[in-house]
Amino acid sequence: MSKVTNRIRRLRFDHNEMTQEELAARAGCTRQTIIALEQGKYVPSIELAFRVAKAFKVPLEEVFQYQD
Amino acid sequence: MAPLQKRALYSLVIGLVLTLGFIAVLVAQGDVTAFENDANLRYIMYAVVVGVPLCYGILVTPIMRKPRLVDERDKRIIEKSSRAQWLAVIFTLVAWTIGLTEVYYDRGQVPVSFLTLIFFSILIVSTLAQSIGILIGYSRLERDV
Repeated sequence: MSKVTNRIRRLRFDHNEMTQEELAARAGCTRQTIIALEQGKYVPSIELAFRVAKAFKVPLEEVFQYQD
Repeated sequence: MAPLQKRALYSLVIGLVLTLGFIAVLVAQGDVTAFENDANLRYIMYAVVVGVPLCYGILVTPIMRKPRLVDERDKRIIEKSSRAQWLAVIFTLVAWTIGLTEVYYDRGQVPVSFLTLIFFSILIVSTLAQSIGILIGYSRLERDV
């Protein structure tokens, strides 16, 4: 299992129940990648991680966490 | 299903249809060297040989530039699939080289129609290998991480 976890699903819910499609459009990726991220099946590049954080207007560490 | 995954599936189907069509033409002609005698068939082959890579370039290149259709995850899969594609092409070339050398060794020359055949087989193998590579890539990515 990946050591990188994220709170994307929670943040989407907190942001007016933002749809996966909307987040994908804001972050510049496909909806399938958002699904894979939420399910912990894909670890994004630094660039995409920042874009996702920017889409929620929060710092990177609020979205992604590294588990030791 | 991701847009690229769908395209890979379509490519696989098209590649298989192309393969079957190609085999049907070969069977109908009866002999590989019949290509040399049929001028019309030769011109059709030239049109396909030039047309397929051209269509690929025109249709696929703009798609690859659209982040909403193909993103970093898809590109990572494409990169991995190109390794499978490269291997498949090399193995096909090796098979052609050994096969043709063994069959035509005594004659010292290979019929010119094999050039088109080699090109077609590479085109088909390359398309199929990439499609299969992409489909395997998606299933592995979803399973492994």
